[in-house]
Amino acid sequence: MAIGSSSNHMDNLVFELKDVYFSYLGKFPALCGIDIRINQGQKISIIGANGSGKSTFLQILDGLIFADKGSVSFCGQRLNEKIFNDVKYSLEFRSKVGYIFQNSDVQLFCPTVREDIVFGPLQLGMAKDRIQDRLEQLTSRLKIKELLDRAPYQLSIGEKRKVAIASTLIIDPLVLILDEPTAGLDPLTTRNIIDLLIEENNCGKTIITATHDLHIVEEVSDVVYVFGQQRSIVKSGLAEDILNDLELLQANNLVHIHSHRHKDKVHIHPHLHSGHYIDEH
Amino acid sequence: MKSNNFIERSIIWSLILLKDSIFAEELALKKGFLQSLDPRVKIISFLLFILQILFTGSLAVLFSFYMFCLLLVLVSRINLVFFLKRTWFFIPLFSLFIVLPAIFSAGEALLSWQIWGVKLIISRQGLAAAEIFVLRVITCVSWVILLSLTTKHFVLLKALRIFKLPQIFIMTLGMCYRYLYLFVGIIQNTYLAIKSRLGMGVQYQKGQQIVAWNIVALWAHSVGLNEEVYKAMLARGYQGEILAWNDFAMKIRDYLWLSAVVVIIWII
Repeated sequence: MAIGSSSNHMDNLVFELKDVYFSYLGKFPALCGIDIRINQGQKISIIGANGSGKSTFLQILDGLIFADKGSVSFCGQRLNEKIFNDVKYSLEFRSKVGYIFQNSDVQLFCPTVREDIVFGPLQLGMAKDRIQDRLEQLTSRLKIKELLDRAPYQLSIGEKRKVAIASTLIIDPLVLILDEPTAGLDPLTTRNIIDLLIEENNCGKTIITATHDLHIVEEVSDVVYVFGQQRSIVKSGLAEDILNDLELLQANNLVHIHSHRHKDKVHIHPHLHSGHYIDEH
Repeated sequence: MKSNNFIERSIIWSLILLKDSIFAEELALKKGFLQSLDPRVKIISFLLFILQILFTGSLAVLFSFYMFCLLLVLVSRINLVFFLKRTWFFIPLFSLFIVLPAIFSAGEALLSWQIWGVKLIISRQGLAAAEIFVLRVITCVSWVILLSLTTKHFVLLKALRIFKLPQIFIMTLGMCYRYLYLFVGIIQNTYLAIKSRLGMGVQYQKGQQIVAWNIVALWAHSVGLNEEVYKAMLARGYQGEILAWNDFAMKIRDYLWLSAVVVIIWII
């Protein structure tokens, strides 16, 4: 079955989740009643504290795990285990949706960077000339050309993340799903990755990012979804509105009240978990 | 370091292994003669040489092969002292001890002496057999080590496809090799964490307990990693059959080398 052939493919809807529930081993709930609609070309952020179900949600979007209850559709086609048994559909889906894992060591499983980057397009049947061209372009763009013959274990965290991004971008997907793309990175690498995501979005790609790094949220989001400890969406809205709702962020462990001293003056203010977005002295 | 601290010793050895491997990869990246050859050609030619070494009974031929190997070491920009240290370590020395009784076998006496009334005779035939045995072992070991030093390990694995090994087998070996380093890193960090809390004074029995816990923790970690890696493979289009990047290309140099090898084997 071809992706996007369904008559339900209204406007440019890419993902549609209706009342989605998921639990691990049937007893540890990870998602409870998720409703989300994502359009082509949108930038979406999922923010929430650790254990709020962000990664589970992303894996459901990528068809790696499947909802216990509710429905998940991609371009009007409902996703379930059965449909992924159809090799043609599976390959088509994988060539349209790229997933960047939080732990780059998981994603970089080949003996060299070059083989890791070309693994995806080879499995998807991309022509070798095209793979070679994309490899050249991406490695120049990400400045990782000199890493091609190195083993992943020899790379720094920032380099690993760039290689993981290259290994996904090489297939030129319509949708890019990123799990904590800037976790543990230095400010310059973080900046490079954010710039890259914005560029990709300007080229029409849908960007879905899960993070609790609030200082990147505004740049990578048109719409922000806040996942709470109940593993459900607590609130959604424009990045600016969400980031200014301190009560909401505080209630969901995304900021905390921070007290510190400057000479003889004590300051008390909200403090983000990563970065200093709302630090106001 | 306490001599009875087996955990620290094991960790240090794993570190040495890691460093050795990284150093060996650097040698494989040098711009030397053997490094420039196609790995498939290298495997075939080295295999032909090793077969010749195994079947020849001539000391002169063995010696020529050994000298040829050392010549290739030099043109491949590998430090000769480093190579000799590596090749003479353990296996050839071990074979020297094994063969020691053989030099006292019956035959034409070359040297004889008495110890506590026992007459010991070194025979010409025994000595010749021992020489051939040791030289054969050191020559074979040298060629194998030269192959592994001048070829990146994963390339060597990939080149094994010429023997029609299934791609999944090669990919699995490659992944094992890749994650071995991740686990070595985890073991080292775990050991440092233990050391920071318990200091150096870990008793033998307690040490065994810690090692057992570590094995269990690593096992759990590897199972978790296994699931995640599988998902990462699925996410990039894996459908149960691996398609690999084959960028081997025969050059004129490879054909010339292969022809030279065939000529050498034919002459001998």
